[in-house]
Amino acid sequence: MTLAADRWPGYAELGAPAGKGSGALVVWRLELAKLSGLLRVRAIIFLCLIVPFLAVAGLNVQSSTPGDTPFGQWVHSSGFAIPMVVLGFGGQWILPVLTAIVAGDIFSSEDHFGTWKTILTRSRSRGQLFAGKFLAAVTFALACMLLLTVTDLIAGLVAGTQPVVGLGGQLVPAGHATELVIVSWLAEIPPVLGFTALALMLSVISRSSVVGIGAPVLLALVFQVVTLISLPVWGQLALLSTPFMTWHGFWVQPPFYGPFEQGLVTCAVYFVVCGSVAWLVFRRRTIGAAA
Amino acid sequence: MTESGLVVDARGVTKWFGETTALDGVDFAVTPGVVHGLLGPNGAGKTTLLSALFGLVLPDEGTLRLFGRTRAEAGPTWLDGVGGFVETPRFYPYLNGRRNLAVLAGLDGGGADTLIDEALERVGLAGTGRQKVRGYSLGMRQRLGLAAAMLRRPRLLILDEPTNGMDPAGIRDLRAALRRVARDGVTVILSSHDMAQVEEICDSVTVLHHGKVAYAGRLDVMRADAPDPVWRLRTSDDAAALAAARKQAGVKAAEHDEGGLVVHAVQDRMDEFVLHLGRDAIAVRGLELDVTPLEALFFQLTADAADPETASSVPASSASASSVPASSVPASSVPASPAPASPAPAAKESA
Repeated sequence: MTLAADRWPGYAELGAPAGKGSGALVVWRLELAKLSGLLRVRAIIFLCLIVPFLAVAGLNVQSSTPGDTPFGQWVHSSGFAIPMVVLGFGGQWILPVLTAIVAGDIFSSEDHFGTWKTILTRSRSRGQLFAGKFLAAVTFALACMLLLTVTDLIAGLVAGTQPVVGLGGQLVPAGHATELVIVSWLAEIPPVLGFTALALMLSVISRSSVVGIGAPVLLALVFQVVTLISLPVWGQLALLSTPFMTWHGFWVQPPFYGPFEQGLVTCAVYFVVCGSVAWLVFRRRTIGAAA
Repeated sequence: MTESGLVVDARGVTKWFGETTALDGVDFAVTPGVVHGLLGPNGAGKTTLLSALFGLVLPDEGTLRLFGRTRAEAGPTWLDGVGGFVETPRFYPYLNGRRNLAVLAGLDGGGADTLIDEALERVGLAGTGRQKVRGYSLGMRQRLGLAAAMLRRPRLLILDEPTNGMDPAGIRDLRAALRRVARDGVTVILSSHDMAQVEEICDSVTVLHHGKVAYAGRLDVMRADAPDPVWRLRTSDDAAALAAARKQAGVKAAEHDEGGLVVHAVQDRMDEFVLHLGRDAIAVRGLELDVTPLEALFFQLTADAADPETASSVPASSASASSVPASSVPASSVPASPAPASPAPAAKESA
């Protein structure tokens, strides 16, 4: 195997590369292509597809019900209770794990593989690379949430379409229950995006995937524990875990949306602050040499 | 071309990493179509300078222009027409060579992806393009790095130790390839520790030492400034040969720690000396060039005051006798930071 030196053409005659594509969107598309090559990403997608059905099977074979979880006592009487039990049981830490696995690694993996020098010496600016990677992490988080919403709903419908008892004790008919299941799952998107930005910031700052993935999950658990403490209202609002529970207000009669709206503000603050800090750190970072 | 006619024009570039000064007011200029060597011992600042050219490191002081434009002026197009790599090329290990190139071609936009198979073939990786990069040897990664660089169809090719890990045939072919792309008008900046490689293919050089430019200029001028080469000589009677050397004009010799002699002499004087030994019935059992003139000059330029062995321009293992002089070229005779490296046409042809 030798370098075919005699066949290296006159590159200068070929001129510069042709069209440039559309900046961050090009990076976003390539990041998604890279993610598709990762085994753990494929595994997450697979789990999103089968876990709701496994949950249905598991709950059906149990004689008892998870009564301490919202909707837990109704899992044997209505399929609509199942996606809500899954949401209530794992929402506060499973969803942060899902998003952190990609967002907490998408920057630090370049440090791990030493590939920043490779991609930063191409025709894309740091801003385009940052935006493309950020978008890819957000896209993955949204895709997971939408997939889980659909598979959970289907799993629930397979289990049964009987009306379900709401959190206010009212009977919710099948059609409205379907809407509420979908809306409740979609209401988890803002805190998931907050955790996405948090994981991404930690990934940029620490340059470590262990920190990028592990720290948000740890923080999610800490938030959960702190929630048990009697915090002042502003303290509860400041926790990124609180918005994960705002869907409770959708299932009472009459419904209330105040906590959801307050949660939106909290998530937006996390998203903007973490994203901005990540960008400020990344844009001035020294790559290679004595970095 | 640019107003100044320079492909690279760095003025007073300084970079600190904490307390460490990696680059200290570096002036670095390269004219089009040359192969320019960047030399220096470990920690001299070569990689930092190359990283600054790629925008990976932002200088704390000074200005840096590629094709006449600063980074601020050029924006995202700063690296258009620039290809290469700093340190060992790195890729995504979970993707194969071809997909790695596809990702990089995608980042470049345009139609570079159509060149991937051709680029893999040119660097001798056509048969392994579908193998995951985690299974590549260092030499194969260097080749993939070259392929990635050439995908950009560069007008400026920046290569940091490109022959690391390459087999001898690959090194030979790379040298030929670099000469060829330079003939085609591509400017090449080659960082290397290998003086022989630099002597063979470079038209001009910059020597860095402790973050400063110790020498910059054309290679033919550098050769003229260089001290005598150093030879390693083994004879049937070293004592008699040493005595003969003392009588021979232009020849300075000393005993070598490991036997034989270390001799400082230009080629012609050395020829005369060897013939003289023959006439004196002293058999020459071995003669090899231990330090080329450029190597000797490099050692001199990059010697630290606290390191007398290298300061003498003789390799650490060489001379032990006081009869061996320090290098014949004083440091002050070497231009500290001369004008842009623009070799004469004749020098370029010979390279």
